[in-house]
Amino acid sequence: MSDPAGEVKLEVKQASKEVKESENVAEKYSAMTVSKNSEMNMGELSSAFSAVPTHKPVKKQIQFVEDKQEFSRFPTKAGRRSLSRSISQSSTDSYSSAASYTDSSDDESSPRDKTQVNSKGSSDFCVKNIKQAEFGRREIEIAEQDMSALISLRKRAQSEKPLAGAKIVGCTHITAQTAVLIETLVALGAQCRWTACNIYSTQNEVAAALSETGVAVFAWKGESEDDFWWCIDHCVNSEGWQPNMILDDGGDLTHWMYKKYPNVFKKIRGIVEESVTGVHRLYQLSKAGKLCVPAMNVNDSVTKQKFDNLYCCRESILDGLKRTTDVMFGGKQMVVCGYGEVGKGCCAALKALGAVVSITEIDPICALQACMDGFRVVKLNEVIRQVDVIITCTGNKNVVTRDQLDRMKNGSIVCNMGHSNTEIDVASLRTPELTWERVRSQVDHVIWPDGKRVILLAEGRLLNLSCSTVPTFVLSITATTQALALIELYNAPEGRYKQDVYLLPKKMDEYVASLHLTTFDAHLTELSDEQAKYLGLNKNGPFKPNYYRY
Amino acid sequence: MSVQVVAAKMAEVELKDVPTVKDSPAGSPMTPTSEGKTLVRSDPHEAGSSAAASPTAEPSAKAGEDSLGLLNPNPAKMPQASAMKRTDPQQNGGEAFVNRDGTVAEAPRMKKIQFADQKQEFNKRPSKIGRRSLSRSISQSSTDSYSSAASYTDSSDDETSPRDKQQKNSKGNGDFCIKNIKQADFGRREIEIAEQEMPALMALRKRAQGEKPLAGAKVVGCTHITAQTAVLMETLSALGAQCRWAACNIYSTQNEVAAALAEGGFSVFAWKGESEDDFWWCIDRCVNVEGWQPNMILDDGGDLTHWIYKKYPNMFKKIKGIVEESVTGVHRLYQLSKAGKLCVPAMNVNDSVTKQKFDNLYCCRESILDGLKRTTDVMFGGKQVVVCGYGEVGKGCCAALKAMGSIVYVTEIDPICALQACMDGFRLVKLNEVIRQVDIVITCTGNKNVVVREYLDRMKNGCIVCNMGHSNTEIDVASLRTPELTWERVRSQVDHVIWPDGKRIVLLAEGRLLNLSCSTVPTFVLSITATTQALALIELYNAPEGRYKQDVYLLPKKMDEYVASLHLPTFDAHLTELSDEQAKYLGLNKNGPFKPNYYRY
Repeated sequence: MSDPAGEVKLEVKQASKEVKESENVAEKYSAMTVSKNSEMNMGELSSAFSAVPTHKPVKKQIQFVEDKQEFSRFPTKAGRRSLSRSISQSSTDSYSSAASYTDSSDDESSPRDKTQVNSKGSSDFCVKNIKQAEFGRREIEIAEQDMSALISLRKRAQSEKPLAGAKIVGCTHITAQTAVLIETLVALGAQCRWTACNIYSTQNEVAAALSETGVAVFAWKGESEDDFWWCIDHCVNSEGWQPNMILDDGGDLTHWMYKKYPNVFKKIRGIVEESVTGVHRLYQLSKAGKLCVPAMNVNDSVTKQKFDNLYCCRESILDGLKRTTDVMFGGKQMVVCGYGEVGKGCCAALKALGAVVSITEIDPICALQACMDGFRVVKLNEVIRQVDVIITCTGNKNVVTRDQLDRMKNGSIVCNMGHSNTEIDVASLRTPELTWERVRSQVDHVIWPDGKRVILLAEGRLLNLSCSTVPTFVLSITATTQALALIELYNAPEGRYKQDVYLLPKKMDEYVASLHLTTFDAHLTELSDEQAKYLGLNKNGPFKPNYYRY
Repeated sequence: MSVQVVAAKMAEVELKDVPTVKDSPAGSPMTPTSEGKTLVRSDPHEAGSSAAASPTAEPSAKAGEDSLGLLNPNPAKMPQASAMKRTDPQQNGGEAFVNRDGTVAEAPRMKKIQFADQKQEFNKRPSKIGRRSLSRSISQSSTDSYSSAASYTDSSDDETSPRDKQQKNSKGNGDFCIKNIKQADFGRREIEIAEQEMPALMALRKRAQGEKPLAGAKVVGCTHITAQTAVLMETLSALGAQCRWAACNIYSTQNEVAAALAEGGFSVFAWKGESEDDFWWCIDRCVNVEGWQPNMILDDGGDLTHWIYKKYPNMFKKIKGIVEESVTGVHRLYQLSKAGKLCVPAMNVNDSVTKQKFDNLYCCRESILDGLKRTTDVMFGGKQVVVCGYGEVGKGCCAALKAMGSIVYVTEIDPICALQACMDGFRLVKLNEVIRQVDIVITCTGNKNVVVREYLDRMKNGCIVCNMGHSNTEIDVASLRTPELTWERVRSQVDHVIWPDGKRIVLLAEGRLLNLSCSTVPTFVLSITATTQALALIELYNAPEGRYKQDVYLLPKKMDEYVASLHLPTFDAHLTELSDEQAKYLGLNKNGPFKPNYYRY
């Protein structure tokens, strides 16, 4: 205990060995592709640290990955507050201990009570343990490799320093990917102060690494509600430093500033908001006429939307189902509730594996799309008795009710890919006549009196968060979009943006996409002058009218 | 001998293909009234019309370079064996085989098939590119392979202009101007067939018939006059509207359908093969009538709107709205609106979600395979294909080709679409990187000179080049008309361009739109458009004062959703309904609209 850092190091070696032995495949995999997913890497290491000694590394590792992902990004989509309950549940069961290198168990004193100083003598931060900075740095370096877009943005714009003079206060998940974003902003000339938008999602060692480089970070894993607001307040309320840009995820920071420091908004040039919840709050403010600065809704940018929903879910549905149930997809009858972006992704993936897919939908346009894509559009009641897997992705509530669960056949799988944990009426299953059996982490058998079993995944919470990974590539899209939104708002000439909520300009959206094309070795064709003239377009974009649907 | 074989083959094809349409064609020869006409029709048609067509076409072919007329496939030139094979596929649009088929009994049936296709070609696609710009190429194609059979009677049998004839329908009404009112029966049959394939419009007719939402509406229309349009017009009429109609394209009118409409009491001014002067005369007659002032405009291409603006600006005082279908027309409306000259609300139905998806993504997904097969009989598996452009059309083409096992490359200028292509598993390349190795080049960019002579020079022997895009500018065909290259017409719509070293490039439809020239537009797609137009008219006509200002609007999402829902029964699709509780949770109305306006589908 006297030298926790040393101990930790030792463990790392041990653990990484174990990991190597047991996880050869995974390692290879991660080396090639998933290591793009630095969360995974981080999972490996962290599992190594706290978990290995007592548990089988393999299992842990998988769980960690899931765990972190659950925390790191999606809660924002459903709103931090509403999800915190279910998160805390899961964090006390399977995932509890290992999400960070050091767990609270080894040091119970609150970071708020500690005075820490980084190597440059600055103490304007509050993190778990500044000594973890080195590990955090490693995490960040891994993430950098997989966020080539942000790095190339850094290179391209470094000389211009488009954010010179920007003072950005941020409130997002504090992960290695965010760190890459923050350091990019710093490289472009900005000063940053940062806090966490979720009390569980912070990677302590990353926070330490950031603090070490001089970014004022106020965040640690496992904050209390009170800590949460204390951190935000410390972030904003700093002597001699007034922010002029806000980067928010969930709207808590914006909310706090509106409530406590309305005067600060005089200097603020703009807000960049990432989450659905936060955007919703901004639109409400705007409707009420209370929005006094321009705000940029990056959540609805084309590129981000496609990656968050269509592409991400197309992969995670298979991944999530395989990891949890090892089900074989070919020939299975599946019903996907909802044919929006998420539903389209799920259906495409399942169809490709030979599953027989039906759709339920309320919107006739989406229903017609499903028909034209070759899926049967049914009502859930018509097929409930015969399906093997039910996947909900409607964003609605009580899509699968007890009545329908009663009629499902033995061994059918029920899971949720949608917005929140309301789609499957899980509460209705918590009755005395049904037996719940936890067969694996995130997998419950619910057993009817007659012996019928229904397999419920992640207790109806989001499968893609709970049982699958979010690739760093997707996070890279988001982070790049945020960076460009900040640049755009900061550099916009007076009057371009009024006190309203804006979508990211198409040109920026296109730029985000183009920065990611190198990953695929994709070669974009350029318009000739003659062609550009013929089309009436600028050679450098934007290439499509605003209403274009992609 | 070969002729007989062909005929026999066709019969088979027909049986396979047409079971759905069975009853009507079977019925047609039976009806006494029609019989005489059938005969009349089939003869001149087979003999006369083909004869008529080729003379007209051939001179033009000789005369001008651009007269692609080329087309008249010189049957003699074709090797017989290939002729047999090719004729049937390609034929759907082409009359070539009509000419050959002998028996009267078969004729009507075959006709049906051809009509359907033919119609499709004319009646919708031109609108997208704009009547004006395409009329040239259409006229070319209409004088070559498709010439004779677009209408039961061809101009050859009656050379007097409809403008000089006095005709009355059976009710004694003479307020129309068409080729020949006596063809009404045939037209009616056409319309009945179309009705069967347009269930959505028929459902709309039934649902709204009681309310008569268009009671009092006086609609003046200018669209392609085809059986599908007729179903639309009769639907409007059933909903309470009075209609006067002119054609938006001088070649696309189905004379017998126009006759059937005139017989049904519609004032139709249109015939196949109008002159430019006829065209404006028809529009004028349509608008300028004593004691009748239109209060709604349904336009396709913007010519009617333009004419009224120019000649009868006062008329706009009474007009409640304009519904415009084509890209060109919408563009003109936006220009008017920008100039502050638009004095009534206009509805842009071209950009409605449902219509867009069907016109582009779904339609092209099928027609790319169809068009390539009909023209070249190419096998897709393992072929290297490059698709230029990854918009809706490109996405459709790529999906279809990938499903057939082709190796697909994409070129794109827009990074967002490029990224989509990457994520969908296509290699994104520049054209000159792969031009030497690809077997097929498909353009769908809407741009010009995407495939230039330099690329064509470097393609490998046998490479197929075709265009699915917006216009005939994408492939620089003009650059191939040089003395050192030999052009060989091997089939209708298929040219071999031969380099001095013997290399051949297979150029389809001379760079015009493959999906128009060599493939069909399904009635289902036209049904989407027609339903959208009908709903747009209803919406504009019934909108409370002030909902629509003097601007160009998109169809309200709710209407768009309604169009989609009317087409769902075709798929036996069962839409789920929101419970009250769920609707409340989502903050939606149970009946839609279900998505915000910026939703991308």
